[in-house]
This record gives sequence, C-alpha cells and structure tokens, in this order.
Amino acid sequence: MRDVCVIGTGMIPFGKYPDKTLAEIGWPAVKEAIIESGVPHKSIDAVYCGTALGGMLAGQRVMKTLGLTGMPIINVENACSSSSSALAEAWTAVASGRHDMVLIVGVEKLTKFGGGTLPLEREDWEVNQGMVMPALYAMRAKRYMHEYGLSARQLAEVSVKAHDHGALNPNAQIRKRVTVDEVMSSRPVADPFTLWHCCPTGDGAAALVIGSVDFAREQKSNPVRIAASEVTSGIYTNGYRDMTWAELTARGAREAYEMAGVGPDDVDVAELHDAFTIAELMYYEAFGFCERGHAYELLSSGATSLGGNICVNPSGGLLSRGHPVGATGAAQAVEIVRQLEGRAGAHQVEGAKVGIAHATGGGIAGLDHGACSIHIFVR
Amino acid sequence: MTKPSTLVVNQAAANADSRFVAPDLVALDSKGKPRLIGGRCRNCQVLSFPRAAVCVSCFSEDIEKVQLAEEGTLYSYSIVHQAPKGWTVPYALGYVDLPDNVRVLAHLDAPAENIAINMPMRLAVGVVGADASGAPLLSYTFTVV
Repeated sequence: MRDVCVIGTGMIPFGKYPDKTLAEIGWPAVKEAIIESGVPHKSIDAVYCGTALGGMLAGQRVMKTLGLTGMPIINVENACSSSSSALAEAWTAVASGRHDMVLIVGVEKLTKFGGGTLPLEREDWEVNQGMVMPALYAMRAKRYMHEYGLSARQLAEVSVKAHDHGALNPNAQIRKRVTVDEVMSSRPVADPFTLWHCCPTGDGAAALVIGSVDFAREQKSNPVRIAASEVTSGIYTNGYRDMTWAELTARGAREAYEMAGVGPDDVDVAELHDAFTIAELMYYEAFGFCERGHAYELLSSGATSLGGNICVNPSGGLLSRGHPVGATGAAQAVEIVRQLEGRAGAHQVEGAKVGIAHATGGGIAGLDHGACSIHIFVR
Repeated sequence: MTKPSTLVVNQAAANADSRFVAPDLVALDSKGKPRLIGGRCRNCQVLSFPRAAVCVSCFSEDIEKVQLAEEGTLYSYSIVHQAPKGWTVPYALGYVDLPDNVRVLAHLDAPAENIAINMPMRLAVGVVGADASGAPLLSYTFTVV
C-alpha cells in the first residue's frame, strides 16, 4: 500500500434545494474539487459516489453534467456513511496502485421527501413497530442520563456549541445561534430531544480528489495525507446491548488510531457524527477524548469548542452544517482537509495538524448502527 | 400523551389476521392472553425475537416457535412526537428486556409520567395507529405492572 493524499476539495452550502435535481446539487462540488486540484479534468481514473437515497446511477448523473464519463463510476450506499465509505473505497483503489487519481462525491436530496424523519425500511421489524431515528438516539440519551446523571439542559449545550460554530461557517445549513432556553423550549421530537437537539434534513454535496503521494506532490507542496481509512459494520445481537456505549465507533476508532499511528491526545480537530446531541457526547468517549461518563465535563470545559485543545465539529457538525445523509462523510472530509490546510476561515482551528472525520449511522434492528467510517488526516 | 386503548383479548383475537401490524409476532395462549412468539434453536437453545430464520449462534435452520415471557424490565424509552403517517403521536416507545437475553422494542401503553427506566412491565395488546382507511392498527404493547 502507498500513501494517499488529498489534492482538491469542493462543496456547496448545505441547505434546501427542492427545485434542483440531484445532479444539479452535485456537479458544482465536483467542479470545485477538480479545479482546486489543478489536475487536467479529463485525467480522473475513477469516481466513487456516495448517496443513500439518491437512486440508481447517481454518480453517472452528476458526472455526465460535467462531460466526465467513461471511467469506472461506482455508486456506494451505506446510509449515513455512504460517501465516507466511498472515500474508503477510493483510498483503497489509490493505495493499492490500481488508480493514481480518483474523485469522490457525496450527494443527497432529502427535500424530495417533503420533511419529517428519515424514511426507513419498513421490512425492518423495529421500524414496523414505530422506530424512527430520533427515538433510537433518544433512548440512548435517556439511558445515558439515567446512568450518569446528565440533565436535558446539559445535553442542550451540545446544540448551543454546534450552532455557535455553524454560525461562522458559510457552508452551514443553519447559521443561527441558539441558547439553552431556546433549545429546551422548541417543539418536542422524541423526549428528551426537542427540534434543536436534532440535525435538520436538507440537501447537499461535497467532493474530493485524492491521489498517490507522488502524484499529489506534483500539484501541491505538503498535501494532507490520509493516514487512516476505515469502514466497519455493527455487530448483530437480538439480545441486551449497552446503549450508553458506542461500540461500533469505539471499535472503528481503535483500528483507525492503530492504522494512523496516532492516539486521542494527538487529535487537534474532529468532525464527529452528531446527528443528535447525545451522539456527540457518546463519541467523545468512544474516541477516547475522555473517560466513560465524563463527556459533559469535557464539553463544559470548552476543550471541544473553537479555541479548545480538541475542537469537535468546527463546521457546526450535522446539527448545524446539516446532514444530507449520503453527502455528510465527504463534507466532513472536506472540512478537515481545509482545517489542516489553514483555510477554514472564521471557524479555523489554529495550528491543526491531525484531524478525524467520522460518519456512522443507519437504523437497523439488532445493530448499534449499520455502518461506521473513520478517516484520520495528517499534515 | 394520548393513551392507546388496551383491547379485550377476544376482540384482538377476532381481528388478529388483518389488524395487527405484525401478526406473526403475537398469538393468544390457551387462556386467551397475548403472547409474543419468538424462536428457540433446537440445536443450541438460543432464543430469538422475531423468530430467526437461521440461528445466529450455530447456523441451524431448525428453530421452533416459542412463547416468550410476559414480563420484563424497561431498559430505556422515549415519547415520540414526530413519526411517519399511520402512527398515533405522541406515543411511548421502549426497549423491554425479557429473560434469557431477549430485548423487545414495543409501544408502551402508559402515561408518560408513569414510565421509568428499570420498571417491570407486562405484555398487552393495544391500538398503536391507523391504516390508510383510518381503521385502527393493533400491536403488542407493554403496560406498567
């Protein structure tokens, strides 16, 4: 395996684009990534497109708009980890020597569903009994609150931080700051979550061009290296499960740290999968940023806010930047690359050298989550 | 919250074929009480709910239908206010732990203020939503013991 680096990044502001097609949402991100990379646009060896609900041949629909076709175009579906799984497949293709330069695009249009909770497969027996994604995370939150004495107001502080960060990010879907009182008094979704505890639905696209390290150095000095690329799936059981521990993410994090040769103390910035407020706290623990049961202390210390020593979700995360499911992983990767290159703008994490992108999800009975993909970037 | 109504058992029996959300998961015992139908691997005795097609422990396909325990302990829950069409919101949803490592997701037929983590709960049947024509849909539920 050879080293793989990021050569170009692109993304559109996440938001609601009900009048655009999936291809119209996707192509501007791809064009930006290719232009940023500086490579001839016809020289892309392969395309990996992540989308969860975009339908057949999403990648071809996006790429033909730019006249870039004929190469292998692989469409990847892995729920919330779709485009991060696409990135992992692309990494493997370059690291193995099969391809020199590969494009990844994540694209999603959730406005076509007209709002509400994410549509899940009714053949899943829990979905057939009324499971919705907010309820799954809400039950984790309730149990965590029960075991560790966390209050709903403390939980709301995750949302306050996310929106403080997102307000600084021109690509964020929600750029409004909120207070704990506003979070607590917004409409209920799934107890203990009100609306502001939940990521919004919306549309978006993000793209990256990656290449072998030698290829990347022809384009730019000191490119960001992908030090770990990891995909795992949840472990099935129909029995008891500790819902206060993100087993899948913890397992993926351990493997990713080992692959990258870094540990939690080395991480400067992380984009973690905060689909709901409780998720961010549980992932602090799964990534080893703090001990089990101590996530709120880490949050309230300011360590994970901009200016802290391990900034989590400077983009605003899923809660504020938005979560067009299949586009999220690529957007997180774009964010981390730009952070490490020092060009994140108003929400820059100063001096960041090591960053994590983490996308996990998918409601499926018997699994913690369906999929989890983690990338560690180093510069 | 809106409290789902608990039906008398013979009424549930009369409608079991067409009105249950998942008729395969529920049956009535000899005394007419609802029971959850799970599976037990004849080879290694591992329980499953819903009844597994293949035993995840030993790969056997010889899995008998068994009635699961009627009482369990509430692991966690949420009062759900936003859900797809067909569900009567708000509703309480929870994970009930039955003996022998079986966890069941169920509607909880109790007022929100009466529900607490780790409380004992008992199996029942109730209305959980409505079909496209507005007719009530039934499922197994758990109530406060």
